[in-house]
Amino acid sequence: MKNYIVTVTAADQVGIVQTVAGTIRARGGNILELSQTVMRGYFTIILEVSFPEPLSTKALAGALTADGERFDLTVVVIEADERARQVPVPNGERFILTVLGDDAPGNIHGIAGCLAARGVNIVDLHARVDGTRFALVMEAFLPSDLSPADVRAELEKFGREHGLEAYVQHENIFTATSEPSPVRVGPPLRIQGDAIVPH
Amino acid sequence: MSAPPYASKETQLYRTEDVLATLGMIRQHKLDVRTVTMGVDLSGCGSPDLAVLCARVRDRLLHFAGRLRQVCHEVEQRYGIPIVNRRIAVSPVAGVASAHSAEGYLELARTLDAVAEEVGVDLVGGFSAQVQKGWTDGARRLIGTLPEVLSTTKRVCASVNVGTTAAGINMDAVLALGHVLKDAAERTRAHDGFGCAKLVIFANAPSDNPFMAGAFHGPGEPDCVINIGVSGPGVVKAAVEDLMAHATVNPTLGEIAEEIKSTAFRVTRVGELIGREVASRLGVAFGIVDLSLAPTPQVGDSVGEILQAMGVLRIGAPGSTAALALLNDAVKKGGSFASSSVGGLSGAFVAVSEDAALAHAVEQGDLTLAKLEAMTAVCSVGLDMIAVPGETDAETLAALIADEVAIGVINHKTTAVRVIPVPGKAAGDRAVFGGLFGEMTILPIHAAGGSAEFVRHGGRIPAPLSSLRN
Repeated sequence: MKNYIVTVTAADQVGIVQTVAGTIRARGGNILELSQTVMRGYFTIILEVSFPEPLSTKALAGALTADGERFDLTVVVIEADERARQVPVPNGERFILTVLGDDAPGNIHGIAGCLAARGVNIVDLHARVDGTRFALVMEAFLPSDLSPADVRAELEKFGREHGLEAYVQHENIFTATSEPSPVRVGPPLRIQGDAIVPH
Repeated sequence: MSAPPYASKETQLYRTEDVLATLGMIRQHKLDVRTVTMGVDLSGCGSPDLAVLCARVRDRLLHFAGRLRQVCHEVEQRYGIPIVNRRIAVSPVAGVASAHSAEGYLELARTLDAVAEEVGVDLVGGFSAQVQKGWTDGARRLIGTLPEVLSTTKRVCASVNVGTTAAGINMDAVLALGHVLKDAAERTRAHDGFGCAKLVIFANAPSDNPFMAGAFHGPGEPDCVINIGVSGPGVVKAAVEDLMAHATVNPTLGEIAEEIKSTAFRVTRVGELIGREVASRLGVAFGIVDLSLAPTPQVGDSVGEILQAMGVLRIGAPGSTAALALLNDAVKKGGSFASSSVGGLSGAFVAVSEDAALAHAVEQGDLTLAKLEAMTAVCSVGLDMIAVPGETDAETLAALIADEVAIGVINHKTTAVRVIPVPGKAAGDRAVFGGLFGEMTILPIHAAGGSAEFVRHGGRIPAPLSSLRN
């Protein structure tokens, strides 16, 4: 068995997923995980696929592009590397970071810089500009020895100069207020194969 | 498609809109944890030696509450939600110090005051007695010391339960408390009788209420417990206003109730999460979340403003009681689904001086004492934070207490009285208590002095019949 990571981007149209999945199926591949989103009219999919025998990444990308010619797909295929399975922040806890305020070029670069310097790993990020208002919500793992107050102070230092306010909150508060399941404290009891909730 | 073993860690879980909705409740609509109240049992502290008693009480409170401030701070930082107050509720002191003289009760009150300051809590409740069926010598001594305790300590809060549905109403105690209010007000004349704001007179007092001034650690509670009072009038008001703004047709009252219910769910969840986390870090039991919508004098944090958002623009107008009943019931329904650990008072507070919109309605002459009394029949907690003329006689204050207690006793619910006869001031004057206690125009008492003979009979109003309930 050999695993590959495939990403496909295109202007959104009906039928892209079917075409991509059809190409994979025709070559004996099995999709292990898939995540797709549409943002401002553009479709992006990332998936991990397993094939019984190794194949050429170039050939697979070529086949996907050819089969999806009418969609004008941009395709990248790489071999899955087991080293990527290492969790970048072992024993970290998931926090939700929210930054709100004035839009300006460099906001995300500055915020990400604050976090990278503190060893915070971003696992999900959604940011948008609505008029002149900038809003960013991310899920990030904080190292166990880093307090949320320190991260917030760091972000606020950046934010003060750029008209932004920042919040760093443990994920449990959002679970508690958004889901009917019982309130819990401490680490989440998440099971494998959780449903993915799209933005 | 099979699930790989590493998927769970990185799976994205939260919708941006959900995150922003919860954050908006905190940022814009003043959602906070109004109080983390630690209940501590003091029943084992008794000693005939006053110094030993006070030392035991101090040690026990330091043992349980020594880390309360630090832990609350940590939890605040972790969840990004303000914890506005930390408080302690102790076993009713009438029982703890029953072997002691009035001076003993005063010394214990001073001890509680000092320990509260030492561990960083703003109020300590439980200088309390339960006298619904009769009073012990200890309870009588405690009530006798109330004016001095309320006027000379800063953080000690007192409560006396004078009636229950099972026992009826102890009218001797009610009359005694009328005199206590007069005395306590006079001793705190310079602060508009503020001493009375730290005394709650109850019917059917709950033993796990986290809100002051009526909190105490009642019988049946564990050694130490964390109870939570959430806030949320601003959040509920914003939800109702949002519903109105986005509806294509005028929402029905049923739809408004549904909106309040779902908002109460979120508010309650925040309270339970914070309570469980604080209790877990302290290694003590988590007790309850009190669902009460607790106002503050700030504009936008008012129960009255919710009624206005529902269409009762002049609070006190006909319809106010029905609107409050809808609000109170919807909050309980949403909260009860959110948590199995709901307790305390759990209703909407109509604390007049603490609620900007209610205080304004009083100033405009729309909201009267009689209407407030009617409103308390459908919500918690009673005639709360109401300034009345300083010249009101003790018998009239006692009769006012008796009326409100009767509503609770007959209707199987908690009611309470926290009235302040403001020395030297008359109806229409302004009483200013400051901080969370707010300010208000003094309400007149209609036909004051007309029921002195009734309350002077004393004795007990018998327990009500529980059948033939119409």
